[in-house]
Amino acid sequence: MSRKVDPITLSVVRGVLETTQREMTVALEKTARSSVFNLAHDYSNAIFNHTPEMIMQGQDIPIHLGSLIPAMKCVAGYFGDDIHPGDVILHNDPAYMGSHMIDTCMYKPVYYNDELVFWTVCKGHLTDIGGPVPAGYNPDAKELYAEGLRIPPVKIFDKGVKRYDVMNLILTNLRARRDQEGDFNAQLGAVQVGERNLIALLDKYGIDVVRACIDELMAMADRQMRSLMRSVPDGVYVGKAIVEDAGHGLGDMEITGTVTIKDDTCHIDIVSPPQVPYFINSYEGNSYSGVYLGVMMFAQLPPPYNEGLYRCVSVDMGPKGTLCNAKEPAPHMNCTTTPMETLADAVRLAFEQAAPEHVSASWGHANGCNIAGWDTRHDEEYVTMVLASIISGAGATPLQDGWHACGPECCFGALTSGDVELLEYSYPIIIHRYGLMTDSGGAGKFRGGSGTCWEVEPLDKPMTFITFGEGRRIPAMGAAGATSKLVESKVGRIEISRGGEVEIVKKNIIETIEPGERAANMNPGGGGYGEAFERPVDKVVWDVKNGLVSLEGARGDYGVVILDPESLEVDTAATSALRTQPAAAE
Amino acid sequence: MRTKYRLGVDAGGTFTDFVLADNTGNVRLYKALSTPDDPTKAIKNGLDLIAEDLLASPRDIVSGCDLCINGTTVGLNALIQHKGVKTGLICTSGHEDSIEIRLGHKEDGYRYDAEYPPAVMLVPRYLRAAIRERILSTGKTQTPLHEEDVRAACDLFIKEGVQAVAISFVWSVLNPDHERRAAEIVREMMPDVFLTVGGELYPQVREYTRTSTAITNAYLGPILKKYVKSIDHYFAELGAKYPVRYFQSNGGLAIGQAMSDRSVYAINSGPASAPQAGLYVANPFDKKDVITVDMGGTSFDITLTKDGVTNLNKNIDFLRYRIGVPMIQVETLGAGGGSIGWIDEMGLLQVGPQSAGADPGPACYGQGGAEPTVTDANVILGYVNPTALLGGRMSLDKQKAYDAVKARIADPLDLSVERAAYGMFTIVNNNMVNGIRRVSVERGYDPRDFVLVAAGGAGAAHITALATEMGVDTVLVPKLASGLCAFGQIISDVKYNYMASAPLRLEGVAAYDRLNSLYKEIEGQGVQHLEADGFERDRIDITRSVDMRYVGQVHECTVEIGNFEISEDTVDKVKNAFHGRHEQLYTYSEPHNAVEVVNIESTLYGRVDKPQPPRLGGGGNAEAAIMLRRPMIFSADGSAIEGPVYNGGMLGAGDEIPGPAVIEEETTTIVIEPGWHAKLHESGSYVLRRDA
Repeated sequence: MSRKVDPITLSVVRGVLETTQREMTVALEKTARSSVFNLAHDYSNAIFNHTPEMIMQGQDIPIHLGSLIPAMKCVAGYFGDDIHPGDVILHNDPAYMGSHMIDTCMYKPVYYNDELVFWTVCKGHLTDIGGPVPAGYNPDAKELYAEGLRIPPVKIFDKGVKRYDVMNLILTNLRARRDQEGDFNAQLGAVQVGERNLIALLDKYGIDVVRACIDELMAMADRQMRSLMRSVPDGVYVGKAIVEDAGHGLGDMEITGTVTIKDDTCHIDIVSPPQVPYFINSYEGNSYSGVYLGVMMFAQLPPPYNEGLYRCVSVDMGPKGTLCNAKEPAPHMNCTTTPMETLADAVRLAFEQAAPEHVSASWGHANGCNIAGWDTRHDEEYVTMVLASIISGAGATPLQDGWHACGPECCFGALTSGDVELLEYSYPIIIHRYGLMTDSGGAGKFRGGSGTCWEVEPLDKPMTFITFGEGRRIPAMGAAGATSKLVESKVGRIEISRGGEVEIVKKNIIETIEPGERAANMNPGGGGYGEAFERPVDKVVWDVKNGLVSLEGARGDYGVVILDPESLEVDTAATSALRTQPAAAE
Repeated sequence: MRTKYRLGVDAGGTFTDFVLADNTGNVRLYKALSTPDDPTKAIKNGLDLIAEDLLASPRDIVSGCDLCINGTTVGLNALIQHKGVKTGLICTSGHEDSIEIRLGHKEDGYRYDAEYPPAVMLVPRYLRAAIRERILSTGKTQTPLHEEDVRAACDLFIKEGVQAVAISFVWSVLNPDHERRAAEIVREMMPDVFLTVGGELYPQVREYTRTSTAITNAYLGPILKKYVKSIDHYFAELGAKYPVRYFQSNGGLAIGQAMSDRSVYAINSGPASAPQAGLYVANPFDKKDVITVDMGGTSFDITLTKDGVTNLNKNIDFLRYRIGVPMIQVETLGAGGGSIGWIDEMGLLQVGPQSAGADPGPACYGQGGAEPTVTDANVILGYVNPTALLGGRMSLDKQKAYDAVKARIADPLDLSVERAAYGMFTIVNNNMVNGIRRVSVERGYDPRDFVLVAAGGAGAAHITALATEMGVDTVLVPKLASGLCAFGQIISDVKYNYMASAPLRLEGVAAYDRLNSLYKEIEGQGVQHLEADGFERDRIDITRSVDMRYVGQVHECTVEIGNFEISEDTVDKVKNAFHGRHEQLYTYSEPHNAVEVVNIESTLYGRVDKPQPPRLGGGGNAEAAIMLRRPMIFSADGSAIEGPVYNGGMLGAGDEIPGPAVIEEETTTIVIEPGWHAKLHESGSYVLRRDA
């Protein structure tokens, strides 16, 4: 320990920081308007110290896992000495280390006796950020400017005085103003709740003791990650993953993560192709989230998290102007899912080479939809991202099947999709299906979790249906030798039903869906773990009984031949023949 | 109370507590070992104990009771062990997986954990029957009920030997026709099956919550039905005057039929009587703002009551199952006398949630336990008398406590054993304080405005430390602390919740009329139910609440309102109650913005006479109650001071004890830190106050 800290006080301080972060989250979630906030948990609250290093992040969404760390430093650096008690700063611009513009972040410096001690920070996904396409995702954007309103670091409270003019400028540029105003209030509530608790902590222990405890908490996290790195053999490990062409015609793109473990440190090099005129470029801040998610899929650490964890991890995102280190004015709105999930996969895969028994399979990638239109019930417009439409299957682990309906990878189970009735109450829609999909989980000794289908019809007026993401051709990557024969059922797709015809779409689109028509958004399952033919026959039969695996899937993916769909009797001889001679299965 | 006795029988995990109140104000507490396989055995054993003590027969006691009240863990245990009955679900086609999708969420705390398993499904996927039918959010029917699908589902269930069925359709709260018709078909085809209809059990918006609640109810229903039948029979045989009342997790009593029809109300009833008991204990002091903390061997349960009204949970995950119906909000932590101190991966001292349980128990029990527990720390700190646990029936080994704390905590952290023990005491207290924050601060209440009531065998040893940490000035410790929940049950009223769904903006006469008529309708049902139960109209009370939010918000905020007609003149009272609550919870309100209602609820109480409060005789010579002095540690540096130990049985009303001191009661030990003093009140509670 650098300075002698009382171990008891240390535990107490950590408890207060965790409680504070939790209370910020409760305040935000219960009051926000946007379903993306209050149903979907697409937000993160964090506490920084004065330097500013992240000293506490909760359970929130991996999308925001890393990006807050450089963003906070960038925002504080922008204002330099011009930071005062009572200030509140707003920011979303990826050029200042933001993730994607629709994730808008509020920063409140916390002062104690006129000394800057903490920052309380609340970042969340708004329903809209202006620009030509409702809800922000514009597949046609060739530049950042066509995706919405860029907000560089700007004060919305200046020494305690609210900047109504600035807020009005921002709100005037956004759709659904009432909800947006409510969401900004909710964020403000969160950073204020954080401030209230932290000041009570300082009252009790004083600045010096609290700072010493925080320094020690960071040092402990550092030691923990270093000991994990030390447990992996020194070496250079490479993982490559593909961002599939989601209809942009630019072709598949490969991202390479090279992990160099040396002693107790880890260096990660990212190589990605030049940036593209499509909304899948990732600026540096966002790319940190992808890299750190790949690290956490290896490290599997329990909360709480602080920046100390990453002291031994250095990252080179590659040259500016590349897919994973974009420069202005590259369009980027899809970046928190695509290419972030592929970036995480590449890093995860590199770690799998280093510690195969420790790393779980990839999760289904996000491909989902936003909806917008006119709500005749209240004579007002509506627009929202539909988080229920991106719920994919989780990857299997070395110990168990993947969770159903827990993804996508970039969220890792942190989302909640919202109740069907609440969604139909909030928006003029009919949700015909929200269910698991047969044969969608990746085959393996441990099966990947099933993906979901979300099928919608507008209530009485045409609806704009905007899709994003990928994972419609390449299934979630298995681990430890897991592969699937039935690929088509493992990947995502969109099905549009019109006049008895079903059109299958595998690219990002903007469509108008009329009442009486339906659009179904289907998400991939998670990757499997281990050889599929090693999965016990009774487990395969149980999956068939429950409709998670079809008869064809049992035979094709698992080499299990079931004679009768009613009795589910297994042809033991045929099964063992298939399983011992995998080639004969074809 | 017009008859001689009232009996409360509360089955816990280890002990079944018996509380017998008589009409002179005496309250007696007995304990018998629980018998989970056949709970009537424990009841028989307990009644024998009472009979022996009072020189009467069990029949004399039971037939001399105005009410026999039972708190049971039968439903809870079946849910924990997944030993409910084979259950089928009838649901809207396309939505059969909502209980497995669980809103796509994995519980916080396990984000990157590769081992954390998915929740066990109470209804496997092949027993979830998809029915073609659809009601829309407008209440209109888009697809009529395909009755042949319901019949096919019944055929499947019969073939599979299903014993309980839950029916839950999307938007059945707006139009119950399809659920009702499906129920008729099920009753016709499966006359003996236990049936739960989602929209009847929990008529509130939220399909996932409603379906999950209905399934849990069906899954446990037959178990509760069988249990209730055997208990009712047992007491009837002994000459009970009235049907046995069962304690529910909503904090009130119910008759057996209601308990088996609505079994989901039984699942967390154990700690749900604490608020009633807390209010009763605080009543002589004119306090209606009470936090109860009940610390036993393995867990720490917290409840909060403000202005006599207790926080309720609705729509929460309980044992990983989403439950909609109101349950007394009980925050439960793994913090008890048996909680183990350990050093985590980061090198930080932690206490709990793992517990040494009863076997091997704390190291000082000398049953082979090597892990240092909170009880071990309390022995080292001089709080717990090594020779006088359970009224001297059990002795403790201080050296074993010392060795365990030294080996596992003190040596690794390079601290003295005394400092390490005080550290464990501090950490477990801190965990408890954070738990109390979750029911108070997170719900917008300042704990400093409340009286703390200590319960459970271990609570009183920590109570002044907790109070100091939270800035609470007044603490009450009833002599009956270790049996407080059982006592709470015998002073509770019969209580039923009636709900309705009313998604509408709180604007205009049509909206007000709709709310008024809904309240009238559900309260009419409730009054009828209670009257059939034997309550005169003047013994029936009604309270109302409404779930509201700003237009655009998704989560509601429950606000208590008075029993008045909602109109242009009174609607502001409703809205202002909401704005005020929102500001209290979240630091701001938006009075200029539109407010909408989602659900309404009326709670109906059948008032039950309360037993006489006890009266203690006067004391006058507290000094004489001092049994000995011993070293006690109240400081982080581990230094000890000599403090007196009082025999609580020798103290009388009005006696004052300055801290530092320890008071030993038969089933609990009260620690009074320096800076606090205690005064025994004639109602049988110690009043602990901070020195001026």
